[in-house]
Amino acid sequence: MMICPYCGYKNREGVMFCEECGQGLKAEVANAVLPTRQLETASPNQAARATWGTARFGQDASIIIHIRDATEPVVLQPAKKTVLGRSDTSSPQKPDLDLTPFGALEKGVSRIHAAIYRSEDTLTLVDMGSANGTHLNGQRLVPDQPRILRDGDEIRLGKLVAHVYFK
Amino acid sequence: MLPGIDPYTTLGIAKDASQEDIKAAYRRVARRLHPDVNQNNPGAAEQFQDITAAYELLMDADRKQSHDSQVIKRATTAGENYNFTLRVTPSKRAVIPLPEPQVIYLLAEILPDPRARDQEQKRESRLNLTLVLDHSNSMNGTRLDKVKVAAHQIIDQMTKDDILSIISFNDRAEVIIAATPVDNKHALKAKVSMMNASGGTEIFKGLSAGVEQNRRFLGPKLVNHIVLLTDGNTFGDHEKCIELARTAAEQGISISAMGLGQEWNDDFLDSLASTTGGTSSYINSASAVIRFLNDHVRNLSNAFAERVRLSIAPDPDVKLESAFKHAPHPQPLTTGEGFIQLGSLQANRLISVLLQFQMPANMSMGFRSIARLVAAGDILSNQQQQFQGLSDISLEITDNPPAEDPPIAILDALGKLTLYRMQERAQEALASGDVREATRRLENLATRLLAIGEEDLAHQARAEARRVAHTSNLSDKGRKTLKYQTRYLLLGASSEDTSQ
Repeated sequence: MMICPYCGYKNREGVMFCEECGQGLKAEVANAVLPTRQLETASPNQAARATWGTARFGQDASIIIHIRDATEPVVLQPAKKTVLGRSDTSSPQKPDLDLTPFGALEKGVSRIHAAIYRSEDTLTLVDMGSANGTHLNGQRLVPDQPRILRDGDEIRLGKLVAHVYFK
Repeated sequence: MLPGIDPYTTLGIAKDASQEDIKAAYRRVARRLHPDVNQNNPGAAEQFQDITAAYELLMDADRKQSHDSQVIKRATTAGENYNFTLRVTPSKRAVIPLPEPQVIYLLAEILPDPRARDQEQKRESRLNLTLVLDHSNSMNGTRLDKVKVAAHQIIDQMTKDDILSIISFNDRAEVIIAATPVDNKHALKAKVSMMNASGGTEIFKGLSAGVEQNRRFLGPKLVNHIVLLTDGNTFGDHEKCIELARTAAEQGISISAMGLGQEWNDDFLDSLASTTGGTSSYINSASAVIRFLNDHVRNLSNAFAERVRLSIAPDPDVKLESAFKHAPHPQPLTTGEGFIQLGSLQANRLISVLLQFQMPANMSMGFRSIARLVAAGDILSNQQQQFQGLSDISLEITDNPPAEDPPIAILDALGKLTLYRMQERAQEALASGDVREATRRLENLATRLLAIGEEDLAHQARAEARRVAHTSNLSDKGRKTLKYQTRYLLLGASSEDTSQ
């Protein structure tokens, strides 16, 4: 008998992919990915912001992401699509911005958590169906629905909080 | 016993085997396949008849001699003979005996003769094609127009060596074109253009008229095929349709089903097609009809062998659990009858089927057989058309098996098949009223899809998971999309290269 390490389902010997959750079972099969930790319900909403930054994002602008508890901010020039997430040695999909150094695993960031899309002169933030949700200024995003990102916004991926500034 | 089948191969013996050898070989196979030890194993029953026929032939000195001389004569007169190969790969070659049942997978591939590929252009197979087209009210407008365009293009593709018939049906069936060689293309097209949309959908009427037309030119040298295109569900005549399809398959006609839009019954069309070795497809937009039909007919005219079937006889203590064809067209297969209709084998693509077996607990040490597989089919360009390939699978049961990686082809196919099974199980859960379970399974599916980079499909799965959580129902469109798209994922998994 082989017990699935992900969902605990009891599979018969010889089965290669869990018949319950579809995960690979054998060492050579399993893309030994750590499942995203399910956190307790989200912390209470913070108060709405009084002022809003600009939504305009120029041609040559870049974004500066201050991750809470991190010493250095992350500066990046967003491409058409920038995926935020947690890289995993054997997951075939790599995020464009890997948050592992910022404690992504403990903070419940999914492997593919959210994405920033760049259109003509705005940025939008989309939750990619993450396990613990993406919050923009304290509001939880509906998966797959883009929301405009503004200068100074607070985003929260699982429990990982960051502030976004335009430059 | 079929004339083209070699009794020596069937019994697994050399041409110069002695009477004792023949007897011993027969006893060995018969012990595994005998009906007395095989209840509910139709594959074994069928193969038992074959080996008994082969045994009787070889034990009768006169018949044996006439068979041998015929083979020699054929070899000298028939010119070049093509064949196909049955290649079977198990997921493991050695297993540990366990006090509990365990699972083993076999990948069965049928490969066309490599020589046939070079001559592909020269030897286009001749078609005996019947189109059974739904012209019920719901087809009105773009759908019917596109179908007409597709039918016109098919007529253009065909030659005067091909046979075409077209049936249109709603609650009645009408023969638009009675089975005829395709020589006056303009007249045929004009008839197609006259089709109008009206009435309801009764598939049995259309299908039985189609089978009747196809039978008129039914021949072993032809690809006898019916394409059913519908956008609606039929009520109360499912059983009759499947029964009709089964008879048609026995006579050598395969049926493919294409469902247009959202309302048609996918389970019904799937079983209709898999009963005959045909394919079933989901066409989500009217404009895709043309491409689908054209591709389909082009593939048909590239047939190397027709009426291919795989007979599966697991050993008495082994159980066949499921079968899934993942190339050339992904399709779940029904295993209840001991054999699987696989339709046509194309000259440049292999057929590959993944079989899942359960082996018993407490197997004794040493080598043991698992299953006997026979692939049979008619090779169109051969004088003596019937041909069969045979494979007997054995495993070693040992306490310390050598480390081995499961074959990549099995792993890849299985990984993607798992996704298809997951959506299937979500639907099962939903059907039994377990909304939470269904939601959970769909969410699992979305996670797995995202992990392999299928973003759009993952979104769809998640959207359906939400819908299920709120309304306890899948949308028709989402359900069909998930079902057929996860199935199509398998296309990427199959190795298209037949040369390996």
